[in-house]
Amino acid sequence: MMGSEMRIHSTDISRRGMLGAGLAGVGLLVLPRRLRAAGPGEAPMTALTFDGDALLAAGPGLYRREDAGGNWTASPAPSGILALATHPERPGRIVAGLAEGGVALSEDGGRSWEARNVALAEGEVAAVSVAAGNSDMIYAAVRGDGLWKSEDAGRTWAFAMDRPWLDEAERDVLALASVDLASGMGGIWIYAGTETGLTRVPDCFCRWQDVQPGNAMDALAAGDAPPSTAPLPPGEPVQALASAPAPPGTLYAALPSGIWASGDGGVIWARMLSGAASAVAVHPDDEMRVVAAVDGALQQSRDGGVTWSVLAAA
Amino acid sequence: MKQKTAIAAGASLAALVGLAAIAQQQDGAESVEGLTVLGKAVTAEEIATGRDIYAETCASCHGAKLEGQPDWKRRLDNGRMPAPPHDETGHTWHHADKDLFRITKLGVGGVVPGYESDMPGFGGTLSDAEIAAVLVYIKSTWPERQRTFQAQVTANSEGGS
Repeated sequence: MMGSEMRIHSTDISRRGMLGAGLAGVGLLVLPRRLRAAGPGEAPMTALTFDGDALLAAGPGLYRREDAGGNWTASPAPSGILALATHPERPGRIVAGLAEGGVALSEDGGRSWEARNVALAEGEVAAVSVAAGNSDMIYAAVRGDGLWKSEDAGRTWAFAMDRPWLDEAERDVLALASVDLASGMGGIWIYAGTETGLTRVPDCFCRWQDVQPGNAMDALAAGDAPPSTAPLPPGEPVQALASAPAPPGTLYAALPSGIWASGDGGVIWARMLSGAASAVAVHPDDEMRVVAAVDGALQQSRDGGVTWSVLAAA
Repeated sequence: MKQKTAIAAGASLAALVGLAAIAQQQDGAESVEGLTVLGKAVTAEEIATGRDIYAETCASCHGAKLEGQPDWKRRLDNGRMPAPPHDETGHTWHHADKDLFRITKLGVGGVVPGYESDMPGFGGTLSDAEIAAVLVYIKSTWPERQRTFQAQVTANSEGGS
């Protein structure tokens, strides 16, 4: 898709209401009025992310809540957001992957958006992530195509890697997380949740590979028993991934079986909450503060998922 | 005339630079400055040997100019990835010496267990010294930035190189 850049401000809402049908073709639509006064929770959330202390939730619309006790406000946003990503060192920048294709970017916390699709392949963007060490480096997974990267905050895109090969087939990526753990190749890892499980690729994009303990190769070379692992349930789709900036080995995953957590970069996982999970986010400054969409409701935890409470929808 | 003089001077300068890049090893062989493999200095002769082995053994897949197979980031019908380039456009320079050596000797499965690749291990056809020569030839083609990056990755790798 050789998309054009277009900016839409919240003050454009009435005009955009009239032009909504026309804008649908380029992926930016007015938020339906009936949803503006409501909060998230009317439909399963497709994506969650923190922008500093503020929480953003995407479903049939995009909603923002400034702090734990505040009200939800609807943000004018592109329709069909499937994924959200932010970077702790770039407050206000929100990256969105769209169901009808393309990536949209906001620099003001979601109040206005630009399409960022130049040279990006056509197709649903189910997953986006911002590189842990570079807030201008954005990754996007295009359904049926592969992994793309932008080094200039989405202004231009380049193909990076084909889709992962798991269980004798290419698998679409449903979730991405830049995980600030050394890959051993001069960079860090990009973790991907797929239709059939978790995989990862170094950010030099040499090859997709299973998550292994750091000393797995030594054990293999020495002929020792492989280190113990407790992977995610095999075959389950990984709908969302969240990586804590610190410690970077702290990961959360949303699966149909629930919210899972790992403290060692994805080698050993434990289920923290049962239920059909569709989204998860971790606070950028507190790896114990987690928000998840489970069974159609927003749940929050302040102890790494040990205990949960319902987050008020409005 | 002036142009010829300038060209001759340039050629002389290049030759001097080339000579400056070659240091004398203790055993008398010339080592190439700034280039090592597996922690050892290398000679121009080893690079030439590696170039010949590469042309004979590796170029059919990775390209005569190390350019890799066409569209190498897209998977083949058999689910495997095409042979990547070994020049600066690829990712070879992200790997430590010992990993490059292990991949060449054992195949990709030598560093990623279970990974299926069309690249065989060359441990049965090339000696360790020949594999090292191929690697040093490849490394000798990289621009300074890639060579420096890869040297750092090698230094950082567990146990060094």
